Amino acid sequence: MVRIKHRYLLINILYPDPKSTSGRPATKPGDEVPYTVQFRRPSPDRMDGGVLTRLIRDGVAELFGDYGSGKVAGSLQVKYFSQATSTAIVRVSRDHYRLVWAALTFATRLPNPVGQPCVIQVVRVSGTIRKSEEEAIRRARLSIRQAEAAAKSSNAATAGLAAATPQLLSTEDDDVDMINGIEDPDDPRDIEEDLDDEG
Amino acid sequence: MFYDLNVPYAQGDATLPRTLAFINELGYNVVALNHSIAGKLPAQISCAIPDPLPFKDLPPKLEIRRRVTLTLTESYQNARLAELARAYNILAVRPIDERTLQLACGSLDCDIISLDLTQRLPFYFKFKMLSEAVKSGKRLELCYSQGVLGDSSARRNLISNATQLIRASRGRGLIISSEAKAAVGCRGPWDAINLATIWGLAQDRGFEAMSKEARGVVVSAQLKRTGYRGVIDMVYGGEKPALSEIAGQGSAVKGKQQVPKRKADDGEAVEKPISKREAKRRKHEARMSGGTNPGTSNRDGPTQPAIAAPAESTTEETTDVQSAATPNSA
Repeated sequence: MVRIKHRYLLINILYPDPKSTSGRPATKPGDEVPYTVQFRRPSPDRMDGGVLTRLIRDGVAELFGDYGSGKVAGSLQVKYFSQATSTAIVRVSRDHYRLVWAALTFATRLPNPVGQPCVIQVVRVSGTIRKSEEEAIRRARLSIRQAEAAAKSSNAATAGLAAATPQLLSTEDDDVDMINGIEDPDDPRDIEEDLDDEG
Repeated sequence: MFYDLNVPYAQGDATLPRTLAFINELGYNVVALNHSIAGKLPAQISCAIPDPLPFKDLPPKLEIRRRVTLTLTESYQNARLAELARAYNILAVRPIDERTLQLACGSLDCDIISLDLTQRLPFYFKFKMLSEAVKSGKRLELCYSQGVLGDSSARRNLISNATQLIRASRGRGLIISSEAKAAVGCRGPWDAINLATIWGLAQDRGFEAMSKEARGVVVSAQLKRTGYRGVIDMVYGGEKPALSEIAGQGSAVKGKQQVPKRKADDGEAVEKPISKREAKRRKHEARMSGGTNPGTSNRDGPTQPAIAAPAESTTEETTDVQSAATPNSA
């Protein structure tokens, strides 16, 4: 059996514009939600994996035409979507993941039932879904800590707490030094198995 | 470290802190706010981007530079370019046709050559012209945001021009930046690198374009402005010396000379210390006129007094000890 190789893209959906309807009873009037939290806010209710799939398919069709759609359609699937963290894991075939990545980059707003401007950022590309999940958990923890630090520093307005943030940011910089960037290299075990089937 | 060297700045734009916070969130470390000028330069050249910025909630870890982009239309004045360059941290030019591109790559002294890639350019890129620019330290800029936000023809032109540019430059000397007028036009650094990869740039060159080359632009632009002949920057210029100490000036004190750098309008009347050539000439004259001077160890032997005339105006800062024998090259 020929094994189909996939790539799993971990994506974040960021909302750069301010919330149009302020319906949050918990916020006190004088209390500024820090930018970090605003950009990574939960997706609107109408948003789900199906909407994201449609967004990707339409994007690929617009950018790469019928050729791109055909190449990608076979194995495109949104494996995981979390509305609360606006995170998703998308599966694509390994040879054409860049097309889907480009379509995500060119997306400027969510399609019609939702209709909000958004920015989609791919944060990890890996060969197994396990690694993407681990990365998603790690990032969720990091963003909670960052949000807490931002909230504390804006409330307390002291420089002392700002010392905590460089520590957080430096862990993010580890990704940056890799020339491969955010793509995980292939797991050698996977490659060995595939070589047996190559023909 | 990721650099985004083209974030358009508009006077009185209240959404700028949000845009900068978003760019910081995406992972950039250094941005350059860009002010565009087309056509004639105004009579008074000053930096249009205030320093410090009049906003209070800018991200603390984001470094901000100031940049100007001058569109090279027919009627630009070469002479005032240097003045413009001094008012900003980075100078970029935007050629609009082949003649201006030739000028920009060749004789103009700029830091970045940026083209509007969403227009149909009526010429092809040539490797020789681009490599000449890259060799002299200028970098070519790819802006992705107008294609991302724009309509279909803008996107098509961007892809076509970017592909040609990447091919003609062979992947070297490029930087990638957004030209995002709003936060929604910014993309993460790896997303931009992926776009460049689709257009033909190798993955590691793309990473270089966003980090190393862009850093090179910022640093060399700074060096051009604060450096002089091997001195990177003057940190402490020393005290004004008493006159008696000047005659025995030793050689080669880099950067700590008492004379300030080339600044003729320094306000106070600085007593110009005697240059080494002048000191040597005086010693020679003293010796000739019968003074009992123990052999001053001049390697060149007695110098001809005829070289004297321009000597006083030389202010030497570098370790160039042999400069006594060379003509005035300041």
